[in-house]
Amino acid sequence: MKNTRAARRYAVALMNVSVEQRAVDRVADDLQTIGATLAASRELRVMLTSPVISPIKKKAVFDALFAKRVGKEILTFAHLLIHKNREALLPDLIEEFRALLDDQRGLVNVDAATATPMTPAQEGRLQKELERYTGKKVQLRLATDPSVRGGLIVKIGDTVLDGSIRRQLVRLREQLLGLNAVSN
Amino acid sequence: MVEVRPDEVSAILRKQLAGFEKEVDIYDVGTVLQVGDGVARVYGLTKSLMSELVEFPHGVFGMVLNLEEDNVGCILFGESSEIKEGDTVKRTGRVASLPVGDTMLGRVVNPLGQPTDGRGTITADKFMPIERKALGVIQRQPVKEPLQTGLKAVDGMIPIGRGQRELIIGDRQTGKTAIAIDTIINQRYTHTEKAKREGVKPVYCIYVAVGQKSSTVAQVVDKLQQEGAMEYTTVVAATASDPAPMQFIAPYSGATLGEYFRDGGRHALVVYDDLSKQAQAYRQVSLLLRRPPGREAYPGDVFYLHSRLLERASKLSEELGGGSLTALPVIETQAGDVSAYIPTNVISITDGQIYLESSMFNAGIRPGINVGISVSRVGGNAQIKAMKKVAGRLRIDLAQYRELEAFAKFGSDLDKATLAQLRRGSRLVELLKQDQYRPMAVEQQVVGVFAGTNGYLDEIPLEHVRRFEAELLEMMELKHADLLQEIAEKKDLTQEITARMHSILKEFTASFKASVKA
Repeated sequence: MKNTRAARRYAVALMNVSVEQRAVDRVADDLQTIGATLAASRELRVMLTSPVISPIKKKAVFDALFAKRVGKEILTFAHLLIHKNREALLPDLIEEFRALLDDQRGLVNVDAATATPMTPAQEGRLQKELERYTGKKVQLRLATDPSVRGGLIVKIGDTVLDGSIRRQLVRLREQLLGLNAVSN
Repeated sequence: MVEVRPDEVSAILRKQLAGFEKEVDIYDVGTVLQVGDGVARVYGLTKSLMSELVEFPHGVFGMVLNLEEDNVGCILFGESSEIKEGDTVKRTGRVASLPVGDTMLGRVVNPLGQPTDGRGTITADKFMPIERKALGVIQRQPVKEPLQTGLKAVDGMIPIGRGQRELIIGDRQTGKTAIAIDTIINQRYTHTEKAKREGVKPVYCIYVAVGQKSSTVAQVVDKLQQEGAMEYTTVVAATASDPAPMQFIAPYSGATLGEYFRDGGRHALVVYDDLSKQAQAYRQVSLLLRRPPGREAYPGDVFYLHSRLLERASKLSEELGGGSLTALPVIETQAGDVSAYIPTNVISITDGQIYLESSMFNAGIRPGINVGISVSRVGGNAQIKAMKKVAGRLRIDLAQYRELEAFAKFGSDLDKATLAQLRRGSRLVELLKQDQYRPMAVEQQVVGVFAGTNGYLDEIPLEHVRRFEAELLEMMELKHADLLQEIAEKKDLTQEITARMHSILKEFTASFKASVKA
């Protein structure tokens, strides 16, 4: 199971420190680097979660990998995580940090799915409409899913705005079959 | 033949399907993190509410039971094997509810109100939430009308009033369900014209079966049908093979069905058979949701589980229609241990309890009620005056009998008064025996108990007591139906009635004794 609770605590702490030191952008970039490296290397991920490998070795690996690529603060932070046996949280933590950062910058991530790829003009209109709807800057992630059939599904956080043909077909089916006994 | 034009067809279809094109559905979703054993942990669903209904794939519904910082714990009302990690969960924005109404009568349903008797869908125009708050002080009034169980031992000494909560407690195989079923069968009388004339309002019954074998439930339903009791009864069944969450909510569903009648100014009786199994189902769900275990591994809120359920039993004030909801919870004890966690909890919540003992049951005293320790804390006010008058002696006589009984086993040198006490007591114990599925009308009970407490049975040999009672009642029905009618209508024993009863009994006892000797 995801252990997001602890990851969020660390992310918030890191955010506070980097705000104090006015190094938010740099920290974010560094985390991005680490995140990308982690995502690319299964071995590194396995090493992080393995309880057999001693913390000293883990620290050494981190130093060797990232000492030249990331700032000192982040390296110290990574050492702290390893010292506290929380290094396995790192991928979750990076995600949480990014979410915090987006929140701070008034950014909101939106997933949009359509049956066929949208034209750039449509994309632009969607972006504009969504920004009006949410009142925030929208970072649009587009996907094509043929099972949508038509229309558009937009997911903002936990909320889904479903204007797809698929959904309408499901609802039509439910109504025609009178399948609402439980949920009425 | 009149032809239907194609354009007409398409016009009607278009009308039916209108409103499907434009609307955008807005809903909140989450992702299943973990699933199994009837519970699921869901990431997301951040706006979901406590006990909100959520929809899983494959038409499985769940209810939110845990709200945590980073996930939501749900119980599933369907096959958890169909749900996979990563599935999308949707909020419905509604709390779990079930259909209620008169159309539910005569049906067997699951705790979500879906029929399981294979007799088609139920059309109900109203839905009510499964979990409802109990009424406050202002909306209530004291219990005042009797709920006749049809059992002499109960109606005489442990009377139950409409709106009361009376616990039925005992080991397995002591006749707990039998008492509940007899009570339901006895309510058939309240739906008759005769009852209407006597001012007895009909009682609608709900039998909630929790964690029982499907075969047992089928037997109960069959019996109720045979006795014509299904017409005013709904059976809510969460059998042993249903998921634990279903068993956990079944009593609440039953209470909701009953509250529909209560709120309409009518009277309802709900039997929860049994709450020990419901507590076990709740324990399972709680432990799977990782709530900390307490005594006997039950979660800390197991008291609240039962108190909030039984608090829904009530007698409404006249302004609200004066309806009532009577609860008959059943608790099964292990080897007579009433000091276990769940029994003590429910004993302290209810307004009295009926103790059933296997030793009495096995000694042939059926129903095996231990009247010495059984009590009804509020039902006395609801007992009809006639019964109160004749049964007052019953309790005292039986208590003295039990005390002397132990002594009498040691020696034979007993004085006359003691012997008389013993003789009276043994006759009364015999009189209180009653066959299953044979509930008696209150006026018949009054006549029987009257004969017992006034000493008319003392001279009758013990083995003839039950025949005496049967023949007495038969004779009363044949020759003195007017007297029975008068008791039922006046609900009191006037001096005139008492005098007539004495004279009838004197005559009958003499002729009965002659028949015994012959």
